[in-house]
Amino acid sequence: MRGGMIRPMGPGPHFGPKMKQFVPRLPFDMVLCESAFPRVKAAPDESAFTQALLKRNADLSPTPAEQAAVLNLVTKIQAVMDNLIVDPGNFDACQIEEVRQVGSYKKGTMMTGHNVADIVVILKTLPTKEAVEALGKKVCDDLRAQEPQEVLVLTMLPNDRGFEISNSEATVRVLVTTIHQNLRKLDPELHLDQKILQSHLAAIRHSRWFEENAHHSTIKVLIRLLRDLRGRFEGFEPLSPWMLDLLAHYAILNNPSRQALPINSAFRRCLQLLAAGLFLPGSAGISDPCEGGNIRVHTAMTLEQQDLVCLTAQTLLRVLSHGGYKQILGLEGNSSIASEMSVWDGVVVSALEKAYEKPPERPPQDDDTDNMDADDDPMETTDN
Amino acid sequence: MYWSGLSAAANAAAAYQTGQTGYPVGHTPTGTYTTQRAAGSTYDTGYQTAAAAAATHSTAAGTYPSAAASATYDYGYGRTTQTAAAAAAAAYDSSKTYYAQPSTATAYTGADTHYHNKTAYTNAGAYTTTSRQTTPVVTPKTSYTSTYPGAAAAAATATYNTSPYAVQTTTANKATALPVYMQQTSQPATAVAAVKTPGNTWQTFKKQGTVPNKTQKPKAPPKPQQLHYCDVCKISCAGPQTYREHLEGQKHKKKEAAAKAGPTPSRHGASLRCELCDVTCTGADAYAAHIRGAKHQKVVKLHQKLGKPIPSTDPVVVGGTTKTSTTTAGTAVGAKTTTSGTTAAPTGTLAATTTTTTSDGKKDDLKEDLLDLKEKDVEPVGQEYIEEIKNEEGKVISFNCKLCECRFNDPNAKEMHMKGRRHRLQYKKKVNPELVVEVKPSLRQRKLQEEKLRRQQLREEMWRRREEERLLEEEERWYWEERRRYEEECEYLDWCRRYPRGPPGPPPMMPPGMPRPPFMPGMPPMMPMRRPDSSDDRHVLAKHAEIYPKEEELGAIQKIVSNTEKALKMVSDYLAEVDAPKEQHIKPKAKKEKEEVPKDDDDKKDGDKKEDGPPRMLKGVMRVGILAKGLLLRGDASVQLVVLCGDKPTRTLLDRVADNLPKQLAVVAPEDKYDIQRVVEEAALVVQNIGEQRISVNVTLTSPIMREQLLHDGDSQVTAVKDPPDVLDKQKCLDALAALRHAKWFQHTFPQARANGLQSCVMVIRILRDLCQRVPTWGPLNSWAMELMCEKVIASAGQHLSPGDALRRVFEALASGLLLPGSPGLLDPCEKDPIDAASPLSAQEREDITASAQHALRLIAFRQIHKVLGMDPIPPPKFQRGGRFTRKRRRDNSTGEGNDSEGGDGKKDKKEDEDSKMDMDKDTNSSKHLMVEGH
Repeated sequence: MRGGMIRPMGPGPHFGPKMKQFVPRLPFDMVLCESAFPRVKAAPDESAFTQALLKRNADLSPTPAEQAAVLNLVTKIQAVMDNLIVDPGNFDACQIEEVRQVGSYKKGTMMTGHNVADIVVILKTLPTKEAVEALGKKVCDDLRAQEPQEVLVLTMLPNDRGFEISNSEATVRVLVTTIHQNLRKLDPELHLDQKILQSHLAAIRHSRWFEENAHHSTIKVLIRLLRDLRGRFEGFEPLSPWMLDLLAHYAILNNPSRQALPINSAFRRCLQLLAAGLFLPGSAGISDPCEGGNIRVHTAMTLEQQDLVCLTAQTLLRVLSHGGYKQILGLEGNSSIASEMSVWDGVVVSALEKAYEKPPERPPQDDDTDNMDADDDPMETTDN
Repeated sequence: MYWSGLSAAANAAAAYQTGQTGYPVGHTPTGTYTTQRAAGSTYDTGYQTAAAAAATHSTAAGTYPSAAASATYDYGYGRTTQTAAAAAAAAYDSSKTYYAQPSTATAYTGADTHYHNKTAYTNAGAYTTTSRQTTPVVTPKTSYTSTYPGAAAAAATATYNTSPYAVQTTTANKATALPVYMQQTSQPATAVAAVKTPGNTWQTFKKQGTVPNKTQKPKAPPKPQQLHYCDVCKISCAGPQTYREHLEGQKHKKKEAAAKAGPTPSRHGASLRCELCDVTCTGADAYAAHIRGAKHQKVVKLHQKLGKPIPSTDPVVVGGTTKTSTTTAGTAVGAKTTTSGTTAAPTGTLAATTTTTTSDGKKDDLKEDLLDLKEKDVEPVGQEYIEEIKNEEGKVISFNCKLCECRFNDPNAKEMHMKGRRHRLQYKKKVNPELVVEVKPSLRQRKLQEEKLRRQQLREEMWRRREEERLLEEEERWYWEERRRYEEECEYLDWCRRYPRGPPGPPPMMPPGMPRPPFMPGMPPMMPMRRPDSSDDRHVLAKHAEIYPKEEELGAIQKIVSNTEKALKMVSDYLAEVDAPKEQHIKPKAKKEKEEVPKDDDDKKDGDKKEDGPPRMLKGVMRVGILAKGLLLRGDASVQLVVLCGDKPTRTLLDRVADNLPKQLAVVAPEDKYDIQRVVEEAALVVQNIGEQRISVNVTLTSPIMREQLLHDGDSQVTAVKDPPDVLDKQKCLDALAALRHAKWFQHTFPQARANGLQSCVMVIRILRDLCQRVPTWGPLNSWAMELMCEKVIASAGQHLSPGDALRRVFEALASGLLLPGSPGLLDPCEKDPIDAASPLSAQEREDITASAQHALRLIAFRQIHKVLGMDPIPPPKFQRGGRFTRKRRRDNSTGEGNDSEGGDGKKDKKEDEDSKMDMDKDTNSSKHLMVEGH
């Protein structure tokens, strides 16, 4: 790569923290420099906006029945897996090392109408497709044995991440991965994709981090709202659930007082941060707390996606500031506000154009297109 | 060479030397040899044991009886001499040629001599393997013992050498040539004390190369046993002829090579081995078959005949961990020690001791191993990877193993395959790395390799466990991170490398030598940049240099401003003089002194305060606006002065000043012509020079009283009523006062002299001024709000920002809605009441500016800052990577954008304006670049 060629000074290794000279900078953040901007006039009353946010959150939260259904299925599967760990019996297709719950179910950020929980299974053996399928069958069989009345509704579908077990009310996605030692022994022909396996391991780290750092209820509410936003506005599609988690955490807790911001400020701040280019090239962004080496989470997006996310946030921010929160929250109207001109109180809010241009005279295998799927935990990308 | 001279008597010696001078081992044969050989004293230290040994052959042959060495020693040599047909000369010649020969050719003959000797010893098995490499060692050793210098380390290997013999003594009771054998064993006994190691170490060091050479030309051993037994192949030959033929045969060579490569000792995995025949069987059945087999029986018989020990028929289980060298496994021991090289000694002794103590315990182990082996055979793995291939009728016709990519038709074959080693290996590799697969026994290389791997793994285990996670994932992620890292950064680094401290690079600013105009603060020509500039920085600096006024412009402005100031002062004096008689007698002179420097605010203030008498009408003149702040841009032709009046300025006053000013100007600058206009509604008069450069100076009349009145008592109408009827426009006067305050604030915030972190800020303000002038969307943003905003935004970064970063940050702030409704607003520090400095902006204007800033921010982020700045892209210095932003491309793009975007939105128009403007200006711009860069 060209990185090597241009290493200026410093004997650092090719990869690593050698880009000393490049100091990414956090973008302007009003919350962090509030003192420089004393209020000229009292802040506008935002109680209606806050109410709308809370209402939306309530709408998005899963119903108790849904929660119970997921919990029920997860518990059963977890029990079956635990049993397999303790006593594999004659099941020798693979050996399970550990089973962990991850994702929105674990984090408590599930959304209604999307009754899917994620479980990561770490295999001690290498995750061949056959082994995964065999495991799926085994788990399914055991479940059926336990609950004979569910025999008909219980289905198992293998996919390239593992398999899904669903009954009539809920789905549990079993994401298969393997222990670290095995990761380098993988053969793309036989085993699951290494990237996928790694993303599953990352998912475990994410849920652990979340448990420790982001248990604040406001964060969960905000995450749910942001996921909803992502689902409704195409421009936010590239944001992975993990990015949203981090963004929500950042927006709520990263302020001078270290006290959680109220939901209305935090929601606006998310848009402000994105609009100010938090997730643009050259920005320090948010570095991934679950990976070493200061990896900025937004670099998982292509440049084009970064542009798209930023411009969507910029347009929405302007709509929001002119009082269009109902449209943004999806209580009224549709998502066209992000892409079309709209009028608010006589003020014309126009949509923005892309700034990113594909670099010219570059070979077609340019970086930007081939790592579209290098998301942080892409298994959650279909969450909403 | 001296060799030829000294060993003229013995050609052989010369031959050896030529063959061996290269060997580094410094063993000087002394003692008995030297006496016998004339050459002895002249033997070089470079002479090696092999050579010495070989030499001893001849000498021994010649002086056999008189050799001072022990009988055993003689005996050892006797072998060679005997094989050499007792003809010293002949042996010599032959050996000579041998040394000249490549070692491979001699290898087997060497070995074969050993075997002959061995038959003499009777305990061939044990001896050979060791002797294959150690025999020559043994022989010279005994003779050298006394003379070898640093043989301290020898003890260990000495015991090693004895070990095989010891084994033999204990086990080889049936030795037919017992006396001889005993003799030999006695040899180590005597020689043990005498250090043998030098030879041994040398030996291990040398290995095959010369070793076989030593013992030459086999031929009939003199000892009684006339059985021609090949110990490698475990066969006996009818006569010397057949034996020789056998030795030269393919089969023997193969075996020999195999033995040399790996004399079959301990192996991984579990397999059964017949020690006697050196045959390894993969299973118990195979082993049983072998034991029953004719070949085995034959060997047993032969061994019985030879009186060699016959191992029990219990199989030796060669397992990964238990290296059971059975009681009689002399071969194994010997081989093991030789192969393990430097560690030979300790293991050797160990083996010796264990073997002497022997056996019962071992058999138990053995049985366990056997059980182990059988158990393992039972467990097939990886059934799920075997596909059943069916024919049309759904009948299974064959099986396909996906792991091993092989097919078979028979279900039994499938079973066998699943138990098979190859399949298990594949399974281990591809499915379960923890599956234990026995190692294929016959391949020693493999074993070694695996041994090595295992050791490596052990070594790596620690750090790997620690690092693995990071290595695997981080590295990967870094890779992606790296790949994604934006062009800018790369380019920027490139740039850093070429210009480590950035000398040629930092973009074209004012030439360093040029005197700075005194009234342009905040622009040190060479900023002390902490780090080299990014592409953004370079663009900003280049743009800044482009908009920064030329020296002539600055000079012209400076001239007209100072002339106007001087003239105004004289007007003030004049008015004071005229007014004085009317009201009171004042000394105009004194006032004059006081107001000598009208430019300077402070002085003027002083003057104001000190004035006790009735106030002058014109108290002083001050620069405001871009002139005071140093924000003049190229092409600016209008500057502002404010004249502070003692009382509320009236139209009358304005007229009087306007009437008098031309006269004074004529006095101040007789050679220049100025045009003076009154703009009553602006409370100002405009002084304009008449020349090629039209520069106008707006002189606004105002008075602090107007504001005081406002501040003190907004509702006291009394004073307002008192106002003269022709007082000038109040708002204009107030504006002028505000401009005065802004100028002060600015000069205070950006002190000219102090190098604070805000140079970037001044630069950014100039750039934004340019933007506001250039781009209609930004027009409504008043300069005071813009300045204030830049200052707040950049200062709040809390760190020094390079110009590029500072500009980006301003756009970030705007993009995040700084001007939008609901933001805190820009509190004006120059007003008592909280006032938003940007309050004149309408909601739509705010919206448009924000949208434009948002787009600009993304343009900057995506390396198109030149579009924001309205300039040509600056290629990275010298080494542009394939002309990233060529002019052509940009043009293409701009037209493309025009086509793509729907009409009716103001931004597009703006952009097109920009583009066309850029296109128009392009030529001039680039020429400017050239000029500036030329400095």
